Amino acid sequence: MRFPAGNTLRSWLWLLVVLALGGLFYWGMQRNPKELPSVLAKERRPAPDFTLPVLPPYREDWGETLRLSDHLGKKPVVLNFWASWCLPCYEEAPVLEATWRRYRDRVLFLGINTQDKQEEALRFIAQFGLTFPQVYDPRGRVGVDYGMYGVPETFFIDREGRVLARHAGAIDEATLSRYLEEALR
Amino acid sequence: MRWVVLLMAFLLPALAQEAPPPDLPPEVFRIARELRCPVCQGESAAESNSGVAVEMRRIIAEMLQEGKTEEEIKAFFVERYGEWILYAPPRRGVTLWVWVLPVLALLLLGLGLFAYFRPRPLPKELLEEAERRLKEPPR
Repeated sequence: MRFPAGNTLRSWLWLLVVLALGGLFYWGMQRNPKELPSVLAKERRPAPDFTLPVLPPYREDWGETLRLSDHLGKKPVVLNFWASWCLPCYEEAPVLEATWRRYRDRVLFLGINTQDKQEEALRFIAQFGLTFPQVYDPRGRVGVDYGMYGVPETFFIDREGRVLARHAGAIDEATLSRYLEEALR
Repeated sequence: MRWVVLLMAFLLPALAQEAPPPDLPPEVFRIARELRCPVCQGESAAESNSGVAVEMRRIIAEMLQEGKTEEEIKAFFVERYGEWILYAPPRRGVTLWVWVLPVLALLLLGLGLFAYFRPRPLPKELLEEAERRLKEPPR
């Protein structure tokens, strides 16, 4: 490019373009690719219903199959999608169990074992002594209905049966309690 | 003969990757290619072998069997994941810029190049000088 002497306007324009592109690049780099929107939580949509088989250790208390809509509208529900092959799930399982024991009168926790083998799921459950009901979704169909990206993911459903929030990745105690208090409010 | 076998050994795996697995019709993969695999980075639901992508292909196959159109199938996934799930950003709203800007940039570049290389009439004094030199007797 030729810059005629005295024509500073054009060089300023170039500088502006470069700065704008640099700014756009910087903004893009600052964004967390894991922060993906949940359509359900954003629009507070009613939680999609499902009927899934209950895993054997829970059948005595919860029956052969569990339908979500039977449990909506009473207490808030915490839906936790997990799999035995998912490492962060091992991190959050003790947190979920401990919190469930504290809140079990006020909130229903429901584990959805997804895209997993039953015997491995049962081993995981035994390892952590999980006492909240667990259902089995080997195909992961319910996950698609919830717009799930990957396990672990936790959905909070309020008393009216609407999706309040979605947490992607292993959940810690503080975050879990915060969402629970919000659901109980 | 030996080189044919060798060539086949190199070519066959490549060819095998071209064709979709036989259990699902190619139509499923054509639609899945336009949908993002939710757990992957930069992979479509047709390429990925992750559980979600496999399930997405199964859902597409089932919906096709039910007689659903491609638009209905895409709408099904957009309803659950938002427009993020579409590989091609929609041609409206903010994402319209993604489609318009490259064309605009090319147009500007073309204009710039044209302005730069455009044949310009030579300055008058240069022409006069040339004429004068032509008339000059050769030295």
